[in-house]
Amino acid sequence: MDITKKIRRNPDVMWREEDEALAGVQDSLDRGEVVEDVGTAVLFSGGTMLSINYLGLEIWKLCENRSLDEVVQELLSQFEVDESVLREDVQAFLDELSQKGFILYE
Amino acid sequence: MSNETLPQLQAPLTINWAINNSCNFACSHCYSREDTHEELPRDVLYSSLEKVAKAGVFSINFGGGEPLLHPHLLEIAAFASGLGLRVSMNSNGWLIDQAKAAELKQAGFTKVGISIDSHRAEVHDSFRGVKGSHARALAALDHLREAGITTSISTVICRINSTTIDELVAVALDKRVGQLNFHNFKCSGLGMANKDDLDLTPAEWKDFYRAAIAAKHTVKDLDISLDDPIIALLDARDAGTLVKGSVCGKLSLNIKANGDMTPCGFIPIVIGNIVRDDLRQVWKDSAVLEKMRNKQPTGKCSGCSKYDDCLGGCTARALALTGDMNSPDPHCWGN
Repeated sequence: MDITKKIRRNPDVMWREEDEALAGVQDSLDRGEVVEDVGTAVLFSGGTMLSINYLGLEIWKLCENRSLDEVVQELLSQFEVDESVLREDVQAFLDELSQKGFILYE
Repeated sequence: MSNETLPQLQAPLTINWAINNSCNFACSHCYSREDTHEELPRDVLYSSLEKVAKAGVFSINFGGGEPLLHPHLLEIAAFASGLGLRVSMNSNGWLIDQAKAAELKQAGFTKVGISIDSHRAEVHDSFRGVKGSHARALAALDHLREAGITTSISTVICRINSTTIDELVAVALDKRVGQLNFHNFKCSGLGMANKDDLDLTPAEWKDFYRAAIAAKHTVKDLDISLDDPIIALLDARDAGTLVKGSVCGKLSLNIKANGDMTPCGFIPIVIGNIVRDDLRQVWKDSAVLEKMRNKQPTGKCSGCSKYDDCLGGCTARALALTGDMNSPDPHCWGN
């Protein structure tokens, strides 16, 4: 995949944030707790459903005419994480979204 | 970043909405023939749709009765579509000609499912109680596809069609539908009254699902959908599915013509009314939904190695035939 290609969400995907779960995660984050396993949004398209966690939701929301590098840079401004680890995680997640047809590359 | 399990959703993803119960057919398995004929006025329906959209629901699937007999279906669908809801419908196809298909497209329908019970016209017509209905249903599929609407065929599996999978697949391929839905037979309404004539034995269900799963794996260019949780016994549920057991009350909810909410169209337990109640509150607090989401194994389900995937099968069927949601699905062939 060309990492300079712009990513955008497939307009056929229906999605929503789960407000209560998201509020709970934000409280947990404030307390320094691990929230990786908590779903905060659901995506649905063509019979395929995905539940995504807090970081997944942040990435999903950034999938709007940004390249992989631009998504990573945006996240680095929000989270204190190692860039190479983050890039690997973001790439893996985008691969999953692409494989399910939830995002498109242009 | 994607999770193996689904969080407790704040609202259903989809609502099956029976906006009317009038019908021009007389089907042998009809679940709503005896249902209320009270219908919500259009302005009340609009405000109810606004509530649904605001709650975060993704899609509405209109049903009935025959929804095309509702005098304001097109306006209602356009209104729902304008709220951002994805709109679809199940119909018998009788009233869908070229002009109606174009109107449905204009109103925002993205998908329309047509009921077809047999590849043989005389069998379908007899089952539906209307001569010529098979031909009109097939023609409707053509009109819809030509109008740019995704089509599907819905077939309720019962004694008249359970051994004709290949023939039904051939119809679906010929009509270039996106999906062929094989629905399990529910014992609700006339389905209960006629169950001795129509329902299969557990062994016959096993044979049907084995053949249907084989077709699903071999037929190209067609999505064959099997919505029955008991196929977990054949290890046939998608490994990646986020919902175990039935999706009713977990992803979807049913609304009747008078606004009453029920867990699904086949469970006649009213848990609220969309006009009167807050959808998210009912979805969160209903004791009935809570019980459906936390089923407990009883009888032969206790100790069954498939229970974690199947969760006792179809709750509506267990409830209808035993009076207990937690009873094993009467269609289950397991020991």
